[in-house]
Amino acid sequence: MEKIIIDCNKVEKKFISYKKKPGLKGAIHSLFKRNYIEKYAVKEFSFQVKQGEMVGLLGPNGAGKTTLMKMLTGIIVPSSGEINILDYSPSKRDKIFRKNIALVMGQKSQLWWDIPAMDSLLLLQKFYEIPEHKFKKKVDYMAKMLEVTNLLHIHIRKLSLGERMKMELMASLLHSPQVIFLDEPTIGLDLVAQENIRNFLINYQQSTQCTIIITSHYMSDVEALCDRIILIQDGLKSFDGPIYQFENILGHEKEVSFSFSSPVNTKSTIFNNLDAKWNNDFTKVDLRVPENLLKEIGLKVLQEMPVSEFNTEKMPIERVMKTLMKNPKILTKKP
Amino acid sequence: MISNLLKWKQTIIISWSKYTAYRFNFFLQIIGPSLVFFFIKYNLWSSIYQNNQDLIIMGYNYKSMIQYHGWGFIVFLLAQGHASFNLSEDIRLGRISSYLIYPFNFWEFHTASFISFQLLQIIITAVTIIILYLLNIIEIESIFYLFHGLLYSLFVSFFWYNLQYFTGLLAFWLEETWIIRVTIQIISSFLSGAILPLELYPNWLASILKFSPFPYLSYYPIKVFSGSIDIGLIYLYLFISVWIIVFIFINNFIWKKGLRLYTAAGM
Repeated sequence: MEKIIIDCNKVEKKFISYKKKPGLKGAIHSLFKRNYIEKYAVKEFSFQVKQGEMVGLLGPNGAGKTTLMKMLTGIIVPSSGEINILDYSPSKRDKIFRKNIALVMGQKSQLWWDIPAMDSLLLLQKFYEIPEHKFKKKVDYMAKMLEVTNLLHIHIRKLSLGERMKMELMASLLHSPQVIFLDEPTIGLDLVAQENIRNFLINYQQSTQCTIIITSHYMSDVEALCDRIILIQDGLKSFDGPIYQFENILGHEKEVSFSFSSPVNTKSTIFNNLDAKWNNDFTKVDLRVPENLLKEIGLKVLQEMPVSEFNTEKMPIERVMKTLMKNPKILTKKP
Repeated sequence: MISNLLKWKQTIIISWSKYTAYRFNFFLQIIGPSLVFFFIKYNLWSSIYQNNQDLIIMGYNYKSMIQYHGWGFIVFLLAQGHASFNLSEDIRLGRISSYLIYPFNFWEFHTASFISFQLLQIIITAVTIIILYLLNIIEIESIFYLFHGLLYSLFVSFFWYNLQYFTGLLAFWLEETWIIRVTIQIISSFLSGAILPLELYPNWLASILKFSPFPYLSYYPIKVFSGSIDIGLIYLYLFISVWIIVFIFINNFIWKKGLRLYTAAGM
């Protein structure tokens, strides 16, 4: 049986803030009297992650993903509950624990802006006590994979966002961590850069068998990288399971769209009960087809109609996420 | 142990490159405030003594008064140059998150950066001493006093660094800490002898101040440089060391308490 690397048990984080009315009057009032509000950013959160798993931590903005990541990496201390990673409690911030984890923050640079990437890497080499030959080998390997060998001696502030992100990844993986936390690693990157980062992470994970927890708002990241999804909504865990189960949360249906070379009869019985959505000149239709009827209906439409193009949806999880964000209560009704 | 020393060494090297990345800005930041402060005092005392070159104010003639402020400039450069760097921003804007992940502590990182800064500052101070000496503003009494003046000023700078670290850590509780920092600096300028030699203060105030840490930050180091110190050097080193140790303990305690409140805003 694979070893359990991350064990979270009923973890909670409570934040206290105060309400301030706008303007000068509000500022003066808040000097004397403050209405404090307690808010749980994460509530009774439990999960386990085994060695080598790649888990996507999903949820809308403000759901508690980043708070959970901060607790897992030991940056903030949970209000209650227990976290155990590699047999260490993150909030105690043991040096051995810190040497075995990495955190990549897409929205925040961890590298030093005013010096070239190589200088930062050399500093990290000393921080993590990496022997010279291992350091050289690792830098060469990663720089080659990420195609940044010729950028290592350029100041970080002069690199593009995509190039900087690659350097961030290199800096975080230099010490061969066993657990990697990626907080929106592809945010703001163009499609090619996103794909490069994803491919690198897949290759890296396969060669090192490290455990990865990733948060991202791009479903293509999640689909490409994760075997399992944990959904957090309003601080609570609302789903935890394999990605195919997540895709089927809304039922076993596929979205299929057909384009036709000329207008077609919308009243045809083929389209009955398929929630057909037509365009204005009836040359395009979006259907929701039960999985077991997909082949039969697809064939019928292809044979009977002037089909010029057809496709099934590329990322069912994106539709599921959109629906869940619009109507978060779906999961409480349908676990 | 050796690997830990290597971490310190590399951090000092990196900080050196960081400080010197924007050379003009760095120069203005460290030399600017103390130079302006010195020129104000130089002009003020020059105009006071202008009409009567033989005037002696509480034992100070024109030459010794200017020398007092000349050495004051050197002490300020060496001991308080680093005080303009803001550490609380790191906490308030959530920038300490990275340091909480690395196996090298926030305190270690900042202290190594401080040492790096002081190494640069020693070079700048040496050049300034030569210039002030050539301009006949300061006199070097003996190499012994020059050495102890420099060494003691470095002790004072470490005290200031710990005090600054302390005010920075208050950012765990307060949203803005710069006002505390500036207030401490202003009060200290008045009470430490940085603006006026303590002899010019009323006797009762000067005798009270001698029991506070303030004169140990400017007045005594200036006196060491000018070779007119009337208390034992060992006593000076001991006094400032005790304060440094006290602040190290307080800072350690505050860091542990504060970290429990840290929310890593903006991460």
